[in-house]
Amino acid sequence: MAITGASPAAPAVSTQGLTRRFGDVVAVDGVDLVVQRGAVFGLLGPDGAGKSTLIRMLATVLLPDAGEALVLGHSTASEASAITGRIGYMSQRFSMYPDLTVAENLDFFATVRGVPKQVRRERSAALLDSMGLAEFGGRQARHLSGGMKQKLMLATTLMHEPELLLLDEPTTGVDPVSRREFWRVLAGLHRGGTTVVVATPYMDEAERCSAIAFLQDGRIQQQGTPEEITALVPGTLVEVSGADPRAALAALADLPGVGSPHVFGEVVRVLWEGSLASVEGAITTHLRAAGFPTVRVTPTRVDMETAFAVLAEAGR
Amino acid sequence: MSLTRIRLLVWKEFLQLRRDPLLLRLLLLMPIIQLVGFGYVVSVDVRNLPTAVVDLDQTVVSRQLESSFTASGYFLVVARPDAETQLTSLLDTGVAKVALVIPQGTQDLLARGQTAPVGIVVDGSDSQIASVGSGYAAQAIARFNASRTAAFTGSLQAPGIDARTRVVFNPTLDPINTMIPGLVAAILMISLMSIMSQAVVRERESGTLEQMFVTPIRPSEYLIGKVAPYALLAVAQLSVVAAIGMLWFKVPFNGSVWVVFVGLALFLLISVGLGLLVSLISRTRQQAQQALVFIMIPTMVLSGFIFPIESMPEAIQPLTYAVPLRYALTVLRGSFVKGSGFEALATPLWAMVGFAIVIFGAAVIATRRRIAE
Repeated sequence: MAITGASPAAPAVSTQGLTRRFGDVVAVDGVDLVVQRGAVFGLLGPDGAGKSTLIRMLATVLLPDAGEALVLGHSTASEASAITGRIGYMSQRFSMYPDLTVAENLDFFATVRGVPKQVRRERSAALLDSMGLAEFGGRQARHLSGGMKQKLMLATTLMHEPELLLLDEPTTGVDPVSRREFWRVLAGLHRGGTTVVVATPYMDEAERCSAIAFLQDGRIQQQGTPEEITALVPGTLVEVSGADPRAALAALADLPGVGSPHVFGEVVRVLWEGSLASVEGAITTHLRAAGFPTVRVTPTRVDMETAFAVLAEAGR
Repeated sequence: MSLTRIRLLVWKEFLQLRRDPLLLRLLLLMPIIQLVGFGYVVSVDVRNLPTAVVDLDQTVVSRQLESSFTASGYFLVVARPDAETQLTSLLDTGVAKVALVIPQGTQDLLARGQTAPVGIVVDGSDSQIASVGSGYAAQAIARFNASRTAAFTGSLQAPGIDARTRVVFNPTLDPINTMIPGLVAAILMISLMSIMSQAVVRERESGTLEQMFVTPIRPSEYLIGKVAPYALLAVAQLSVVAAIGMLWFKVPFNGSVWVVFVGLALFLLISVGLGLLVSLISRTRQQAQQALVFIMIPTMVLSGFIFPIESMPEAIQPLTYAVPLRYALTVLRGSFVKGSGFEALATPLWAMVGFAIVIFGAAVIATRRRIAE
């Protein structure tokens, strides 16, 4: 991977062998990552996978132990000051001054970043309005609800119109309505050309990204577009219903051609490696012999959650 | 270094201070209450000091002298031993804290117009009682002399009693008045350190410190923005507390205002710096509080604020050089009581400059190391 200087064509983010340890724990382990400009890049993975550490290194908050990260063409280690004014970083925890009001927080962080007064006034009015916070401008941040706090943080990171947004689990602990609203705002930014890197543990949010990477134990397991990721899953995903899922799961385990059987709500999902035509006959015959007379077999679309479950299993 | 950004940080800090009513109370009201309260504790109950009188003269004059002691209300005669040798056991057991020894022939000496020496022995193990006791004894004798001079108008030249005070157990005594300047320094240190120690760690806990690093704010700007508001408050606090200390307790001031100002300013800077350092190193507010206690206790014990350094075991004494309050006390006591100037107090003043440099240097390094958790 050729990493160029600060040319406008440089990718929004590119890292090589990025590593960070905390004591004996390797939180991020040799990550190579490229995020193109204008992308909405989803960083997925379970808790403790290293998402926050990776984002904090990109935000210049943490220094890497090894490897390097170029953000907007500048090194996070040696040229942090060339980066900080051009990015917006939203940490996982609420990180505004709790005893300052919504308007004061917005104004403070924008002034620190050198946004002129007139622009500050216009933008804060527009942002608060678009996020439904207009009437809460005078309220101290600690008295906001969870969803409003997240929106205040997003608004604060947008005051200086950053080229790159780094969002660390912005929707964790936020109600579904606020989550959808939040993603609506991100979609608007995406249309405006802002690059967004968003860490999330929610697989359904991955579908809204233009590119994703799956992080586990500090390493990137898979990366690509959502379509590319789901295409990696071998075979056909089928749902088996009409039997006790746990019992059916045990019975299916020894059927040849069945991979990654797992319980999904009231059904069992398996990957069928043979042809689509033969799947129904093979499974119903097998289960009937095992004492499940009335099963139904339905082929289904591979979603992100299944894709990662299957790929994570295959990667072990 | 951007002045605009520093001004913004200072403004933000004041905005937060204004919204924190507890902090302002802690900053201004608490030190005043503590000063007044402790001030009374340190100057309380010096009346009725148990006194032994060894009257070897047994004359009218000796009885007059004794009554000028008892009339003051500060001394209560608890024993009348026949010989000076019996005093040792009385003082050893603590039955008497003060002893007045009137030698034989005192009346004769006075009658001949000569100066008569009397002995005053003070138990120095309690420096408080000892300093007050010797002070009042001197006053009682002065009163006795004054009344004699008044009675013999014109006819006597330099007559009177000359008190030879001897302090047993702890010969170097600081007068009561040195307690108040020391108290002012100690109280300001406690309140500034406890407030300052929360300043950065609070931002760490609320996540705003991390957010700071993603702005163009530099570590040095952040530090100045943090210290400046509290330094201003410290000056305000100092003026109020020092004024109350001096006016309320009527502490006489012999020294140079500038020496005291420079000494206290340096010491407050050290206190703010130490608090800042604690705050930078701590991960949580509880940790900061524990670190504070860890610093405060040796400071109080080893600085000479409570126990005289000279009376500490020799092995412990070198440790006191590591306690900044020690130097502040030297400067304050020297200036208040002895009227010492910059030259005489150069060593402790420079020592405090050294402490300030080391502490703020460490603070800058601690900020640069950022938040590695």
